Amino acid sequence: MNPKELISFVADYFPMLVRKPAPKYVSESGNRVYGMVAEFHETPKIYHAAEIVRDAGYSKWDVHTPFPIHDMETAMGIKTTKLPLMAGGAAITGVIIAILLQWGTTAYLYPTVVQGKPFEAWEPFVPIMFELGVLLTAFMCIFGMLALNGLPRFHHPLFSHERFYKVSDDRFFIAIESTDPKFDPSETRALLEKAGGTGIALIEDED
Amino acid sequence: MSQIAANHPSPDATGLSDHDWNHRLERIASDARMHEDNIHLPKSAAAKIGRPMLILGLVGLVVAAVGAVSINVAHALAGIEIGLFTVLAISLGSLFWTMVFHALNAGWSITLRRQFENLASLIWIPSVCLILIAIIEVMSQGILLTWLDPAVREGNHLLEVKAPYLNGTALIVRVIVYAICWITLSRLLLGWSRKSDETGDRTLGRKARFWSSFGIPVFALSITFCAFDFLMSLDYRFFSTMWGVYFFASCALGSASAVAIIAALTKSAGRLQGIVTAEHFHDLGKLVFAFVVFWAYVTFSQYFLIWYSNIPEETMWFTARRAIGYDWLFKVMLLGHFAAPFLILIWRPVKRSPKLLAIMGAYLILMIVLDMAWIILPMLTVNDASQGTATLPGHLIHACAILGVIFTYGWFVTAKITKSPLIPTKDPMLHEALAHKNYV
Repeated sequence: MNPKELISFVADYFPMLVRKPAPKYVSESGNRVYGMVAEFHETPKIYHAAEIVRDAGYSKWDVHTPFPIHDMETAMGIKTTKLPLMAGGAAITGVIIAILLQWGTTAYLYPTVVQGKPFEAWEPFVPIMFELGVLLTAFMCIFGMLALNGLPRFHHPLFSHERFYKVSDDRFFIAIESTDPKFDPSETRALLEKAGGTGIALIEDED
Repeated sequence: MSQIAANHPSPDATGLSDHDWNHRLERIASDARMHEDNIHLPKSAAAKIGRPMLILGLVGLVVAAVGAVSINVAHALAGIEIGLFTVLAISLGSLFWTMVFHALNAGWSITLRRQFENLASLIWIPSVCLILIAIIEVMSQGILLTWLDPAVREGNHLLEVKAPYLNGTALIVRVIVYAICWITLSRLLLGWSRKSDETGDRTLGRKARFWSSFGIPVFALSITFCAFDFLMSLDYRFFSTMWGVYFFASCALGSASAVAIIAALTKSAGRLQGIVTAEHFHDLGKLVFAFVVFWAYVTFSQYFLIWYSNIPEETMWFTARRAIGYDWLFKVMLLGHFAAPFLILIWRPVKRSPKLLAIMGAYLILMIVLDMAWIILPMLTVNDASQGTATLPGHLIHACAILGVIFTYGWFVTAKITKSPLIPTKDPMLHEALAHKNYV
């Protein structure tokens, strides 16, 4: 994670801590431009449109559909998530904490005779090692997933676009953010038109 | 009510009309991947691996037999049993997976199922050997199973109480019953599968599903009692209700590993291209990984509860092994049978690579051998202190007997694979397996 990503990550959760950079594009009414959306009517069309946007080299964009579409990740060129590695790290941390916590206390700090078993016996540690490993893994899976997704959030600029609500019914959308280095109002519009999108609109960020 | 009944298809009705079914068969037959060369392994290709295995296996068995005559019968029999139970675990596990795939109507596994069926149908080898071993044990009044010895039974209260179960006649009858159950189930399932290759009869799968559902409880009971009879009763004082599950863990793990090896070898021989893909290996690898963890869970739980409750007649199973210096084997298995494969198989690329998964499969079968050795070998010394711990010639006999049994079985496997197509060619759900893809 480079510093720029870290700052935007912090800004997602604590907007008061980070000063927003000056907007790259401003709409006629003076609002910051969030990005551009295009509407699609069929699954194959949005799939191929996603491939076109991917091949054009955009990085900050997303596809919104009423239901999951298999293989959309390849069409969008999304890399495998880092979440398993993070969860694995959490698991190892949990196991190490459990070992130190139990071995330190029962063998050194406060040795107590239990059923005449040896103080440093490893057997009774195993269930705790397992439990703590699983607990931290589960936490990392949930909170890491939320953090990588940028969730939870109270509002999203796309909700200001009235037609976007159809995404939970029968419409497919591609949204390209204005912070994308390749974003250009006219070129992006041309690309989305070429990809077969209709109802292309500029979305304002109203805060 | 009557309208619902009328709309509901009868149990004998097929979900697919004859026209649609023929259309599907034609489409599968015209698939380039279903070319004859791709789904048949010629005898010459199988013999390349099979013949060296047969030679090695026979040499091992001959050395073990010489050792049995010249040095010690018990050591040779222990070695044979270690190999035999590894092989039995592989065959039994394959029977289990075949029945589970049928009972759950699994689609993805169809291109791998023929190899599970082949391994399962070889169960007659370990079954017949077990019957022979039971007869030898009873005739010689206990070589490894000391409770058959009249001198041990004399005035032994525990054995008097357990006599209705632990007696020679009952042992032989039980082994024959297990053998009949296993051989019948595996032959029926392979028979129906092969018949559907020829006739394209899509109702055979339904029959297999029906009998698999009954077969699973039969399998569960028979392997539990078989493990009681030959492995747990080596020490007639010991008891563990987890014993059957402990043996089952080896069964499920061993068979998935063996199929990974077979599939990888047939792929490297240029067969099954595009039929068994990284996606199938991925799912097979998940099963292997799951049962590595399952084995550790069951084994540790059994040890842990015995350790905690600290009851002498249970703990002596472990203390006896510790006392005669087999403790290292338990530690080796803890790291080698659980920790190492867990940390290796957890990686996605390892499960998706046929080569790596096959190497892990061979390694895990070696670990199952160690597991069986941990159960069987120390009992030689525990039951007869005059034997002492095995010395080098003793271990040589064990190694030769184990390798002899496993390699001879391996030759039977290579011979079996060539006898039918490598996949069920006309299974109603073959198209699902051919298009199988993991989305995670």
